[in-house]
Amino acid sequence: MEDIKKLIINTVEDAVIEEKQKLTVTVDWKKLPLLAKTLRNNKDLPFDFLVNLIGVDRGEELGVNYLICSSKDLSKEIALKTSATNRENPLLYTVTDIYESAHYSEREVYALLGIRFINNPDMRKFFLNSDWKGFPLRKDYDANPDINPVSIESKEIQDIAPRIMETEEGQLLEETVKVFEDDDYVINIGPQHPSTHGVMHFRVSLDGENIKKIDVHSGYIHRGIEKLSESLTYPQILHFTDRLDYLSANMNRHALCMCIEQAAEIEVPLRAQYIRTIMDELNRIDSHCLAWATHTNDLGATTAFIYGMREREVILQIFEKTCGGRLIINQNVVGGVMFDIYKDFQKDVKAFIPYMREKLAEYDRFFSHNVIALGRMVNIGHLSKENAIAYGVTGPAGRASGWSCDIRKHIPYALYDQVNFKEVIRTEGDSYARYLNRLDEIEQSLCIIEQLIDNIPEGEICAKTKPIIRLPEGEYHARVEAARGEFGVFIESRGDKFPYRLKFRSPSMQLVSAMPLICKGEKIADFIGIGGSMDYVIPDIDR
Amino acid sequence: MMLLNYSQPLELTKLIKWFDNLLRASLPEFWTLLIEFVVVALALLAVYVVVALLLIYAERKITAFFQARIGPNRAGKWGLLQSPADMIKILLKEIIKISRSDRFLFFAAPFFMIVASFATFAAIPFGQSLHAIDFNIGVLYVIAISSLGIIGVFLAGWSSNNKYSMIGAMRSGAQFVSYELSAGFALMTIVVLSGTMQFSEMIEGQRYCWNIFNGHISSLIAFVIYLISGHAETNRGPFDLPEAESELTAGYHTEYSGIMFGYYYLAEYLNMFVIASIATTVFLGGYLPFEIQGWDGFNQIMNYIPSYVWFFGKTFVLIFLSLWVRWSFPRLRIDQLLNLEWKYLLPINLLNIVLMVLLVLTGLTLKDLFGIL
Amino acid sequence: MNSLSKYFLGIYTGVKSLLVGMSVTWKELWTKKVTQQYPENRKTLVVSDRFRCELTMPHDENNEHACTACGICQMNCPNGTIDVQSKMIETEDGKKKKILDVYTWDQGMCTFCNLCVITCPSSAIKFENNFENAVFNRRKLIHRLNNEGSKLREKKKEVKPAESKAE
Repeated sequence: MEDIKKLIINTVEDAVIEEKQKLTVTVDWKKLPLLAKTLRNNKDLPFDFLVNLIGVDRGEELGVNYLICSSKDLSKEIALKTSATNRENPLLYTVTDIYESAHYSEREVYALLGIRFINNPDMRKFFLNSDWKGFPLRKDYDANPDINPVSIESKEIQDIAPRIMETEEGQLLEETVKVFEDDDYVINIGPQHPSTHGVMHFRVSLDGENIKKIDVHSGYIHRGIEKLSESLTYPQILHFTDRLDYLSANMNRHALCMCIEQAAEIEVPLRAQYIRTIMDELNRIDSHCLAWATHTNDLGATTAFIYGMREREVILQIFEKTCGGRLIINQNVVGGVMFDIYKDFQKDVKAFIPYMREKLAEYDRFFSHNVIALGRMVNIGHLSKENAIAYGVTGPAGRASGWSCDIRKHIPYALYDQVNFKEVIRTEGDSYARYLNRLDEIEQSLCIIEQLIDNIPEGEICAKTKPIIRLPEGEYHARVEAARGEFGVFIESRGDKFPYRLKFRSPSMQLVSAMPLICKGEKIADFIGIGGSMDYVIPDIDR
Repeated sequence: MMLLNYSQPLELTKLIKWFDNLLRASLPEFWTLLIEFVVVALALLAVYVVVALLLIYAERKITAFFQARIGPNRAGKWGLLQSPADMIKILLKEIIKISRSDRFLFFAAPFFMIVASFATFAAIPFGQSLHAIDFNIGVLYVIAISSLGIIGVFLAGWSSNNKYSMIGAMRSGAQFVSYELSAGFALMTIVVLSGTMQFSEMIEGQRYCWNIFNGHISSLIAFVIYLISGHAETNRGPFDLPEAESELTAGYHTEYSGIMFGYYYLAEYLNMFVIASIATTVFLGGYLPFEIQGWDGFNQIMNYIPSYVWFFGKTFVLIFLSLWVRWSFPRLRIDQLLNLEWKYLLPINLLNIVLMVLLVLTGLTLKDLFGIL
Repeated sequence: MNSLSKYFLGIYTGVKSLLVGMSVTWKELWTKKVTQQYPENRKTLVVSDRFRCELTMPHDENNEHACTACGICQMNCPNGTIDVQSKMIETEDGKKKKILDVYTWDQGMCTFCNLCVITCPSSAIKFENNFENAVFNRRKLIHRLNNEGSKLREKKKEVKPAESKAE
C-alpha cells in the first residue's frame, strides 16, 4: 500500500492522507476524477470496484465519501473524501465514466442531499418525486408534513432527464434529454406485479417481443431508514436491518453489529461467534431456497415454488425456536447474540443437513436438467466479468460471471477463516450459471454448518457493554457477504450516542443497475426470468 | 348387433329406445324430432356444465397433491361443494364495463369460444347410443369447428384496449394456428389406419384391438404428437404463455369479469376434456371395453362395466396425464414453442403419415398380423 | 449426418429429462401432506415459547408485579410504543416514592425488537406466545399491562430457617 500512497501524492500533490480504520484520502473536488481514474488504471493493483458512494452533510459543506477497493483482492481498500464548496448550489464531478455502479448512487445523493454531479448523463432524483421540496439528509431539513403532503391525484411520470454537462472550454451547460423516443411502445412492469420481487417499477420500451430500453423507477418502499437512524441510539437502530433485505436479515444485522463492535472495540465471545456464523449460514440457505423457488416460479414451474418453501419451513422453525422470529430474526445485538441456543438446536440442525442434501438432489432431478428450463436459462442475460466489476454486481450473480468476490474469503470475519469451504465460481455469466451457483452455495453452507455444529464452546453469549454506547469520533466501514452480495455499513460518528451519518450499501441496488445492460435485446418473457435469476429484493434498494 | 345380445343392465340404450317409441307413438314425426332435439341439447348442456365443474374440482385437488398441499377441503366434505360455490360466485359477480373498448366485440368474443367448444363437445361419443352428432366426416368436422375458438381469443385481446391483452392474443393466435396443423395431421394418420372419418365406425373397428396397439410404432408417435398439439392448441400445460400469470397477469382475458370470464374459464377446461376425449375415441377405443378375441369369459366381465364408465375412465387417465405434465414443467417461450412445432413436430408428423401408409399397405398392422377381426 | 444425429440425440435427452422431472412429482403425489388444519388443531398446536406475540407484565397470586416505573423500557423503545405513567405517593415513613400508575403498550406500533424486555432491570415484562391477537378496532390494540389494584412486589427479607420452623 506504500506504493499506492506514493501514487496518490504524485497525482494530486495536496491530497491529505490519513491512516484511520481505512486509508482515507481527502482531495479537492476538481481533482477527484483524476485521482479515481489513476487509481482505477493502476497496473499492479487496479482499484476498479466502487463499493460505496455516501453523501454526507458535513456541517458547513456537503460532501461525498467513496470506498473503492481492488477487484482482485477485496481487502485493499481506500476511502476517498471530497466536498462541494457552495452549499446553495453544490456541484461535484461524476465518477460514472470511471465506475458504472455510481449511476443510481449519485442520483440518490442528489435526491437526498441536493448535490448535482457534472457529466452524469441522467440527473433525475432517484427515490423521491421530482417535485419534492427540500433535501432530507441535510441537517437543516424541515420535516413538516405540510410542505410535502401525500398527493391524492396521480402524477404523470416525466420521462425527461435533466443534466449538467461540461463543454471542452470548461463551461457548464444545463440541458434536458428525453429518456424514451416519441414512438416507443412503453409498457409498465410493476409496481404491482406478481414477479418483480417487491414494489419495483420498470418502464420497458419494446420492439415486438424484444426489449429496447429499460428505465428503473424506484422509491415505492423508501422509508427513510438512514435519516431515522440519525435520531436513535445504536441498539435502537438494529431492528431496522431486519427490514432491509429481509431474506438475509441475520447477515445484515451482523454487519451493523460488527461495525459498532469494531468501532467501540468490543470483543465478541467465542460462543456468540459460533452461534452467529451458524445462524448466518442457515439464513443463507433459506434465502437461496426462496431465490430458487421464486426463480422457477417466474419461469412457470409453480410446483417447484412450493417445494422450495417446504424446505424453508424447517429452517424457519429452527429460527423460531431459537430467537422467536421467522423472517425478522432478532438475534444479533452489540456484543453478541440476544438468545442462547435452545436445548435441541444441535439435534435439529444435524437432522436438517441430510434432509436438505436429499432435497438438493431432488431439485437437480426435477428442474436443473429439464430441457424446457435449460432453454429458458442457458445463454440468457449474459453478464461479462468486466461488467460485473464495473456495475458492482457481487454475490452469486457476480461469481457466476467469473469474479471471485466472496467477502468471507477475502476479508474473513466471524469464524470464516477457520472453516473449509469452496467459493463457487462459474464463468458463463448467464442465467443458468447464476441458478446453479445458488444451489451449489447451499451445499457449501451445509459443509460450513457441519464443521461448526458440534464444537460450540461454552461461555457467554454477549459481552458486557455500557448501557449507552458511544462510538469514538471517526468513520467506520463494515462489509459482510449477505445472500445477495456484499452488504456494507458506513457509520460516521461525532462522539455522540447517535450516529452522525449511517449508510447501508445495498447489494440489490447494483443487481438492478445491471438489469438495463443485460436485458437489452432479450425477449420480454426472458426479462422476468433474468430478474428471477439476479434475485434482487426491493426493500434493500429503497431502504 | 352383438351389442344388444350381451344385455348389460346398466346401459342406457333401452331407456332411450323406450323414450323414442313413446314419442313416436303419440306425436307426428315433426314434433317427435323437435322434442328429441330439445331434450338432447338440454342434456348436453347439463353434461357440459357438470363435467366442467367436476374437472375444476379434480384439477384443484390433484394439483394440490402434486404440490405438497391438500387443496380445497372446507366447502363440503373433501371440498366437493367448492366448484358449485365458485360457479355461483361467478354468476353473481359484477360485469365491469370498460369505457374505451369496442363494446360489441368485447361482449361477442366469449361467445365464439363457448360456441366452438360446445359444438365440438356435441360430436363426442360418450357411450353406447349416447352419440349426438355422427357425421360421416366426423374427424374433419371436429377439427374445423374447434378452430373457431381462436376468433374469440383475438377479439378479446383486441377489444380490451390493453397492451398486455393484445400481446397475449397475438401470441395465442400464432400458437393456435401452428399447432392445429400438427393435431390435424396426427388425426389424419389414424384416418389412414381405420379407413373412415366417421367416429362410430372408427370405434367399431377398434372392438378387439385399440388403434394405439393396431398401428404400433406409428400410432404411438401419432398419439404423443396429438396430445402435445392438443395441449398447445388449448393453451394448457407448458404452453400457457398467453395467460402466463407471472408475466402478463392474465393475458387476453385480463379485462373480463363475472360470467364473461366464466365463459373463458369453462371453455378452457372443456377444451382440455374435448382433446382428451377425442384422443380416447380415436386412439384408445372410445367407449368400448378392453376385449381380446376368443376369451369370451373375460370379455363378458369387461362388458359388464357400462360403456360410459369406460369412456370417462379412459378420458380421466388422459386428463390426469395432462395435469401431471402441466405442473411438472416450466413454461415455454413463444419462439421456443413455434420452434418445437415447425422444426420438430411437423417433420416427424409428415414422416409418420408416410410410415403409417406403408404399414397399412404392406399389411404390417397388428390386426393384419394376428388376423384379428 | 452429424446434425441429424444431434437432432435425434437432442430429442432423446430432452424427453428423458422431462420424464425424470415427472417422476419427482409422481413421488410427491403419494407423500403424506404436512398441512395442519387450523383452527381444529388448537389443542395440539405447539408454538415456540420464545415467539414474541404479546407483551405482558406477569402478576403473581397476590396481584403484585415487579415494575418500578423507572421508564428505561420507554426510553429504549425505538418507536414510542410504551407509555409509563407514574404517580407520587407517600409511604408509611413519610417519604415520597414514585410508583407505577398505568403502563400502556401499543401492539399496533410495536416492532417486537425485544429491547424493552432485555433492558428492564427488574425483569418486569416479558413476551408471551399467544398469537391470536386480531381485533376489529385499532384502539383495542392499545393494552394496559398492569392490572387494577396491583402493586409493586416488595423485596422479601431473608427468612432464617429457625424462625419458619417455629411458625
